[in-house]
Amino acid sequence: MTTHDMTYPRKGQPLVDYGREIETEIAKLYDLIEAEDIRVDHYPHRWLAIKLLEEDADVRERVASARGGAELLQAAEKSVNHLRNIYGDDVDIIITDRRYGFITGLVKEVVERPPVTRRILSDRIDTIVTHRLLGIPIFVAMMWLLFKVTTDIAAPYMDWLDEVITGPFSHWAERFLNLINSPDWLVALALDGIIAGVGGVMVFIPLLLFLYFFIALLEDTGYLARAAFVMDRLMHRLGLHGKSFIPMLIGFGCTVPAIYATRTLESRRDRLLTALLCPFMSCGARLPVYVLFAAALFASHQDIVLISMYLLGVALAILTGIVFRYTIFRGKPTSPFVMELPPYRLPTIRGLATHMWERSSAFIRKAGVYIFAAAVVVWFLLNMPWGVDDQRDSWFGHTGATISHVFEPTGFGDWESSGALVTGLVAKEVVVSTMSEIYVGGVEEEGEEEFPSTPEEIGDIFEGGARAVRDSVKRVPALVPGVFQTAPDEETDLQAALKPVFSERAAVAFLVFVLLYVPCVATLAALGQEFGWSWAGFAAAYYTAVAWVAAFVVYQGAGLLGLG
Amino acid sequence: MAEGFTIALAGNPNSGKSTIFNSLTGGRQHVGNWPGKTVEKKEGIWRHDGRDIRVVDLPGTYSLAAYSLEEVIARDYIVHERPQVVVSVVDAANLERNLYLAVQILELGADLVIALNMSDTAESRGYKIDIAKLSEGLGGIPVVPTVASRGLGIEELKEKIIQAARSQPRRTAEV
Repeated sequence: MTTHDMTYPRKGQPLVDYGREIETEIAKLYDLIEAEDIRVDHYPHRWLAIKLLEEDADVRERVASARGGAELLQAAEKSVNHLRNIYGDDVDIIITDRRYGFITGLVKEVVERPPVTRRILSDRIDTIVTHRLLGIPIFVAMMWLLFKVTTDIAAPYMDWLDEVITGPFSHWAERFLNLINSPDWLVALALDGIIAGVGGVMVFIPLLLFLYFFIALLEDTGYLARAAFVMDRLMHRLGLHGKSFIPMLIGFGCTVPAIYATRTLESRRDRLLTALLCPFMSCGARLPVYVLFAAALFASHQDIVLISMYLLGVALAILTGIVFRYTIFRGKPTSPFVMELPPYRLPTIRGLATHMWERSSAFIRKAGVYIFAAAVVVWFLLNMPWGVDDQRDSWFGHTGATISHVFEPTGFGDWESSGALVTGLVAKEVVVSTMSEIYVGGVEEEGEEEFPSTPEEIGDIFEGGARAVRDSVKRVPALVPGVFQTAPDEETDLQAALKPVFSERAAVAFLVFVLLYVPCVATLAALGQEFGWSWAGFAAAYYTAVAWVAAFVVYQGAGLLGLG
Repeated sequence: MAEGFTIALAGNPNSGKSTIFNSLTGGRQHVGNWPGKTVEKKEGIWRHDGRDIRVVDLPGTYSLAAYSLEEVIARDYIVHERPQVVVSVVDAANLERNLYLAVQILELGADLVIALNMSDTAESRGYKIDIAKLSEGLGGIPVVPTVASRGLGIEELKEKIIQAARSQPRRTAEV
């Protein structure tokens, strides 16, 4: 196989992947070069872009004298500054690291006795974290720590946000709406629909901020690349390679970018199989549902419930991979490839903040638009026909009741859960917002409550905020098992409402179903766009079937064993 | 294939590049300077099937950054003179450092053949390198194991260079 003139090997794919941040800037410069038809000697365009990011003096000089060169240099400078801010280091050093990372990965794969001439710290860490036997346990431990730290540290802030939203914020909204003489239904829509629904999800923002922060930390230090390396052998059993693991890891944040991340894989078979497995990775939107139920029903062992959900997702991904490999995706061995192992880096605050914000702001936007819309629609459905007394007799209640028969064998055959699951198709956190509308928004307040005065409430907000900071800091030593026992978190209204409704085994079955059923419309759209609508349809049917069977097994199995 | 083509030899200093240059060209060598530069330029002729193939020995470098004159000469030669094939001599004893240069030549878009040279040190360390995997990892370029000091693998290297040159689309004249 020979490469063509001025193109790159690997079917036109670049040899070295310089990482998301740098590749984005390369693409920008590349597009500019192509669009403006800038010609600088015979230099290949991608190479030219890379050299500009490296601030190669000779190339800069040549570009300066080319037509359109000034504009290109300006764009390059912007890119370099942006990257320097993120990495806190010169870009050429990062590029060199990446190139060496590619080579280190390659050498590790092709040399039987790796050279021991240069054993720097990075290599020493690698011998432990990429160890044949220790690698996977270390990875599982890292993931456990990630979710433990995230949920523990975020909990006080969530409590605080919940108090602010259900307390002062609701009061002010109500007072404001009464002040401008709004009709009763509008007050009800705002309080029981929008604030209960959107607010119920907004409470989880601290949780996701911490989750995305820790994922960014693992990513920016270079550990995620090692995790992919460790999983390489396991992935080969699924007929995939370690590179497929990266989209799956992204899936722990959000499934939609995970599906788009499969584009880095070479064959369509690999891309499709990987994309079909991504939704099994429990995304950030599912975490609020787990946390809500775990806190309501399993106060003493929340961690176990949480980590079990994540592990169950991974286990079913593996199972699905094996089944698909011997059925739909038979044969066709995957092409060998090189896993980049860039040296470990100390991440910069700036880079972490950027990555954390990118993901969190997407969640907040989603809450602002889709969850808002869903909350309004759900509120109307709960109140139709107009003025209905009992929510059970509303359109929502009737629809939920009809569907609920399907879920009788799985332990949550009530109209509330079924309705919440249907609305959860928009996005899984909507399950929480809908339940919040039903169980909290629908409850009539007893009598006229005496609201505290506004200054008093403002004082409470700050006091609560300070308490949250203190509590979350206090939790850090408690992460070491046995050092401290933290007091149980305060119970929210929604948690209290769920307690009498769900038995423990029904709650677990419900969470299993939420983990596994159709991820959300955005995921289906991504699958459809990348692989065609028939695959998206197949995926939807498959996930729902798996979810029902798994929930059934959990509920009935626990019943037979006399649990819950 | 245009008659009489040019190949360039690239590699780290002390990678065995000179030895391979000598075994390709025999005695037909010419030593001069790179135009306008005080860096030595070695050229030679390799007779193959009654045809003369020009072999240019690029300065020994570790990288293709613009940090040294040698590096600029090497990369400008590859880009502007466009030898049909670049042979990268890679010392198996220092695989990472040597591949660092090879990867950069590949990024420049050159047609590369790797001469994976087992120096005495590499041999004494008993490395086992999976040639096929290395080739595929680098995008399927030919990798030929050689022991230049004992003349091993040179014939296969020559074969691969000719093959690489032949399978190229004909180059159009560039301005």
